[in-house]
Amino acid sequence: MQLESGGVNLRGKLIAASCALLGSAPVAHAQTHDVVDTINRALADWQLDGAVAYYHENGRIQAVEPVINAGHELANGGQLDFNFTFDALSGSSPNGALTSRQVQTFASPSAKSFAQARHLYTTGSGSLPVDPNYSDARVAGGAGWTVPLSRLMRATLGGKFSYEDDFYSATVSAGLERDFNDKNTTVSVGVNSENDFLQPIGGAPAPRSDYTLFEKGGHETKHGLGVLAGVTQVMSRNWITLANVSVDRFSGYLNDPYKIVSIVDASGSPAGYVYENRPDSRTRRSVYWENRVGWAQGSVTADARYMTDNWGIRSETAELRLRWWLPGRDQYLEPSARWYRQNAADFFHPWIADSAPVPADLSADFRLAAFHALTYGFKYGCKLTDHLGRFGRDTTEFNIRLEYYEQSLRGNPAAPAASSGLDLYPKLQAFLLQVGFSY
Amino acid sequence: MLELRELPGDVLGVRFSAMASPCELLLGRVERDLALELGSVAAEEAQRIERKFSRYRADSVVGWIHQRRGSVVQVDEETASLLNFAQQCFELSDGMFDITSGPLRGVWRFDGSDQVPTPEAVAQLLPLIGFQKLSWKPPWLRVPLGMEIDFGGIGKEYAVDRAYDLLLARCPVPFLVNFGGDLRVSRPLPHGPWKVGIERPDGNLQAAMMLEMEYGALATSGDSHRFLLRNGIRYGHILDPRTGWPVPGAPRSVTVAASSCTEAGLLSTLAILKGASASRFLKEQAVRYWVFDQFAAGS
Amino acid sequence: MKPRFIALCLMGALCLAGTVLCTACSSLGVKPWQRDLLSRRDMQPGGSRLDDAIDEHMYFSKEASSGGRSFGGGGCGCN
Repeated sequence: MQLESGGVNLRGKLIAASCALLGSAPVAHAQTHDVVDTINRALADWQLDGAVAYYHENGRIQAVEPVINAGHELANGGQLDFNFTFDALSGSSPNGALTSRQVQTFASPSAKSFAQARHLYTTGSGSLPVDPNYSDARVAGGAGWTVPLSRLMRATLGGKFSYEDDFYSATVSAGLERDFNDKNTTVSVGVNSENDFLQPIGGAPAPRSDYTLFEKGGHETKHGLGVLAGVTQVMSRNWITLANVSVDRFSGYLNDPYKIVSIVDASGSPAGYVYENRPDSRTRRSVYWENRVGWAQGSVTADARYMTDNWGIRSETAELRLRWWLPGRDQYLEPSARWYRQNAADFFHPWIADSAPVPADLSADFRLAAFHALTYGFKYGCKLTDHLGRFGRDTTEFNIRLEYYEQSLRGNPAAPAASSGLDLYPKLQAFLLQVGFSY
Repeated sequence: MLELRELPGDVLGVRFSAMASPCELLLGRVERDLALELGSVAAEEAQRIERKFSRYRADSVVGWIHQRRGSVVQVDEETASLLNFAQQCFELSDGMFDITSGPLRGVWRFDGSDQVPTPEAVAQLLPLIGFQKLSWKPPWLRVPLGMEIDFGGIGKEYAVDRAYDLLLARCPVPFLVNFGGDLRVSRPLPHGPWKVGIERPDGNLQAAMMLEMEYGALATSGDSHRFLLRNGIRYGHILDPRTGWPVPGAPRSVTVAASSCTEAGLLSTLAILKGASASRFLKEQAVRYWVFDQFAAGS
Repeated sequence: MKPRFIALCLMGALCLAGTVLCTACSSLGVKPWQRDLLSRRDMQPGGSRLDDAIDEHMYFSKEASSGGRSFGGGGCGCN
């Protein structure tokens, strides 16, 4: 064994260290059992994270979303996690109709006919038709439980719910994971089942029906089943990699009950609207790969996802995040970037011609269009360990995050003659500002 | 409970028990009453340190810290300086001297039997060991859940030095403080140096080394009574916290003479951790030392 | 679409099997006392759960894909 450090100098340093030790004053240790001690002990195996996010799209939706996560280490090595979120949205949401030079009048979802003026809204010439009264409030929460089954194997059980006035959802999930190779490899599998109950405002419209007929019914349901398998591998002291493969299938009512598609006449002017319709089932497969590489001053996370489904949509996602600890290790900066691209669904039709029969499936929802999206983010975090007196912990942190998201629609069907020259696919620009606190 | 006895060479000895070891204070010629008073100073300091830093006591600082694992606690000045010292030793020794290595006690029971733990059992504990995993920003300490701190490796030598400081201010005659073999002398006796016997690890009293001390301190690390023997291989009780296993080729016992007991204690512990290079290491430190390895005594 | 689905499944299974097989040689990996960096929160998959959840909600309501890191169902009415 080599004498790595100190050498002859070691004794000198040791003498200095001993002098420092013996020079200090011995003090009797006073026992304290006060409220702060009790609180600290109770919270010792809890990890709390909370944040409030504000989201704002140019000219469209804005939302406020507070979130709280709590994690609790169990004595047997298991884990309990809870999360709770509330979000309030308001603003304008595109209703699927085509931008036109004509002024267009629409009825909001709660309208029963065009006679009720207070339920109508108008879109000016050349503007993207949006419902300006979109508002929604949602409450959601979930819990997860990890149970150690043996030294190398764990089971996880989870459930979550979401509640809005027109949509309720409940999901349950179960998973198993096992370690190999000295805990350097972990293989996991999981399944989940989601059940959604929709009660659209005004009732679910008959698919492909004429917008002006107000043929609206009651409620609808949809159900999803998913399977996920993954491998996590420690590559070295600095590098960990993870790969997931997942398949899910949703069936039932997959339409957006508030979206319509414009029917245009021979000249390309709007002649009517029908409610959209999407297939009864959707099967998606995705492959996901993540890498994290770290060193003393920071880390890099890079991940990619490839997804395909039976609606003809293919998407690629790539993300990069850099964590950089400032000298002193109390603060960090975290720039990030994301690139995303998808192609349009087979049944994406921003408009249909009145000369042809209405297709079995059609939707003008931009979320099913071809686009690519970029996100630029920046996060700043600051450890508060030394600033909260006896409440300070290693994990106490304040952070603030800003993200800019933009979506550019490209490669989608051109405008019909009457709408040519208009921007049918305006760029979506949004920012997210989030302030968070961890304990 | 102090016990007074007369020793040859005009020396008075005051005996007491502390830190699970026989302790004594040897004094040049003084009156009985002063001897007992000085003896109680030494005994009380030893007991104060034991009460304050013992890992076995829930009311000690260590017990109090362990009850608050996961949260930040503010420690007093003496505990802070011990932690600073432990940190410097951790760094100087490249992680071999580590006060967080306590969890290894769970699998290594040095009772002379052949119950050597499995590599798996040892490897499981390693994530819970490492001084660098503590959050130590004086005076704020946070011990993560599952980890422990233990001042046992420096406690006795520290107590010797503390008692020495208290006695130096009060004792008019030369004295020797000895807590279970870790000792320190103030100055030579009127008629010559102190004569100290170093016990051989195999208990061979006849070949015990006789040492003459005028100033300084002595500390011993070794496995004389605590070891495991399996398949002819002797596993000494000094464990390398980075691997969880005893250091291979470690000498059975190392005694070092230095200017303070704390310094001597740390050098002897580090020497054993250096395994077969113990003698070379101590030669480089320019201290007097005695290494007893598997087969023969050397110095 | 079916042959591509099969191809994708096979590719995924091969990736998984390949990784497990490679790692079975256990030349990759670290000893327990080398996990200092890996135990840091920013080095753990799942270490940024709260940020990921907020981002995931935003992307789910604006794009056609979701999930990958974990289950894909959005569980909310925003898509």
